[in-house]
Amino acid sequence: MKKIDKKTADAYYREKNKYIVIFLTIWFLVSYGVVLFADRLQFEMPLLGFPFHYWMGAQGSVLTFILLLFISAKVSDRIDRKYGIDEGENEKISYGKTADH
Amino acid sequence: MGNEQFLVSLTFILLTFGLYIGIAIYNKAKQTSDFYVASRGVPPVFNGMAIGADWMSAASFIGMAGTVMLLGYDGLAYIMGWTGGYLLLTFLLAPQLRKYGRYTVPEFIGDRYGSHTARVIAAVCTIIISFTYSIGQLSGSGVVIGRLLEVDAAVGTLIGVVLISFYAAFGGMKGITWTQVAQYIVLIIAYLVPVIFMSLQLTSNPIPWISYGEIVSRLGEIDADLGLSQYFAPFDEASRWQFMALMFTLMAGTAGLPHVIVRFYTVSTMKAARWSGAWALLFIGLLYLSAPAYAAFSRFVLMTNVVGQPINDLPAWTETWINTGLLQIADSNGDGVLQWNELMINADIVVMATPEIANLGVFVIGLMAAGAMAAALSTAGGLMISISSSFAHDIYYRVLRPHASDRNRLAVGRITIVAATVLAGVIALDPPGVITQIVAWAFGLAAGTFFPALLLGVWWKRANGPGVIAGMLTGLTVTLAYIFAAQAGFQIAGINDTGAGVFGAASAIIAIVVVSLLTKAPSQKIQEEVVDLRYPEQMTYKDGDVWINK
Repeated sequence: MKKIDKKTADAYYREKNKYIVIFLTIWFLVSYGVVLFADRLQFEMPLLGFPFHYWMGAQGSVLTFILLLFISAKVSDRIDRKYGIDEGENEKISYGKTADH
Repeated sequence: MGNEQFLVSLTFILLTFGLYIGIAIYNKAKQTSDFYVASRGVPPVFNGMAIGADWMSAASFIGMAGTVMLLGYDGLAYIMGWTGGYLLLTFLLAPQLRKYGRYTVPEFIGDRYGSHTARVIAAVCTIIISFTYSIGQLSGSGVVIGRLLEVDAAVGTLIGVVLISFYAAFGGMKGITWTQVAQYIVLIIAYLVPVIFMSLQLTSNPIPWISYGEIVSRLGEIDADLGLSQYFAPFDEASRWQFMALMFTLMAGTAGLPHVIVRFYTVSTMKAARWSGAWALLFIGLLYLSAPAYAAFSRFVLMTNVVGQPINDLPAWTETWINTGLLQIADSNGDGVLQWNELMINADIVVMATPEIANLGVFVIGLMAAGAMAAALSTAGGLMISISSSFAHDIYYRVLRPHASDRNRLAVGRITIVAATVLAGVIALDPPGVITQIVAWAFGLAAGTFFPALLLGVWWKRANGPGVIAGMLTGLTVTLAYIFAAQAGFQIAGINDTGAGVFGAASAIIAIVVVSLLTKAPSQKIQEEVVDLRYPEQMTYKDGDVWINK
């Protein structure tokens, strides 16, 4: 066990939270945001032929959600690596923690 | 075709069941810890599929496309609500709950809030929510078994009860995790094959997700010609606020459903929990992205081949469905031609009728039957495990009989599964509401109780035992009261019973915050444990410092 500087630990937490806030803002805009103004967003989309508000509800929002989850998983891994976190070590620790339960 | 269809459907169902039961027996749970959480080693991709099977119920498989077809744009609240909730779950709750490392949701609440009472209330809430949800599953599986095997729906429900209790009780979750991977694969193939053929037939494009846009626009033109409000017109069926309240209820409910959360205890680390969430939504999204395509194609066929036709000369496939009573026609103006408003369609037939409409033959219909059964049984199986672990682990072991042996607890868990399935089956014989409505109530209750309790439990170290007790009870009361009041005609901003969760969640959050601040802060140890959830497993928070394990 090695002590980490409080500043480093706080920075880790802040960086993780910053991305959660960004991702949830996008999540909110593509779902609630579009619904709120649905009646004004009824223009037809080129190529696909959908009215925009309908496409957002049926496909655009869902595709954005999926994308956000994968991007966030990737970003989280990158942050972990940046702070020297080793997933193998995590597995060992969490295994031990649950076994004595 | 009746007899041949019966044999083909039965063969498909039996073959897939043989597969699931084979997997369950192969993995037969031996220890209590395996029985509940599959020994924590399921890789994220497969865990994602298992979450998908757990998640996609009879309502999703059979009912959702029909709901979207009947409600038009307003039905999309279900699509966004049931997918968007995974972001709340994966960003805000799942990794932290995984690090805290408990077997069940009530156990987390009991330990995090340091309160026995809170644990018992949470266990009771889990049982109420999962039980409500499973009534919908069983009555759904009754309809499917009944119609495809051409037996009475009540007999179908009873067959479902026997099957569910059998492999939930004897496989435990370890059996179920791998069984559910197989079930996901069966149900997604069964869902996609008909819609792809339908797309080919109607648009000569085999990719339904691209081709149905044009159909949606044409539906709008057809509606306009008939003087109806356009298919995609927003807020035609209910207010904008009902749309958003329903969407919120489904999202927050998703993040608070005990049988879904428990899936995140089966992965090894916080990182694996994040990836599980991502894979799960990808697999779930495949079905949810296809449902509106089903809806558009079916409505288009109805509008062009059925509506406006002479009543004596309707397509052959309509006859079988009229016989079941799920499709009704009445020539109310007596002109011999069928109008849209003379047609009454039950939402549940859209997906099931598609293979017949597109003339895909007995094998595809058999495949659909197997897929619908997989959807109903996998969800019901997960729900039953939740009920049994809440009772056997959180109430029986922790409160009633702290010295019970492993074997004894396992036996109690199995008896609970059988008893709960039978009871839910009995209620499902005469369900208290429409299936989607019952399911929405379950989500409202989860949104009003667990979502606030878990969210604040993970993110606010000052939240304490009295706060969470007040919060869960307030949320439960407000949600239930609003459901009953809305059914009696009382509404706020046009929000009806399916959107009740928004009021439950708001009141529960306020109650937790206010009561927590008025009472003593949680112990130093609990507060440190909450701060510890900010960091990955390798980092530990202790006495105001963070330590790394190297």
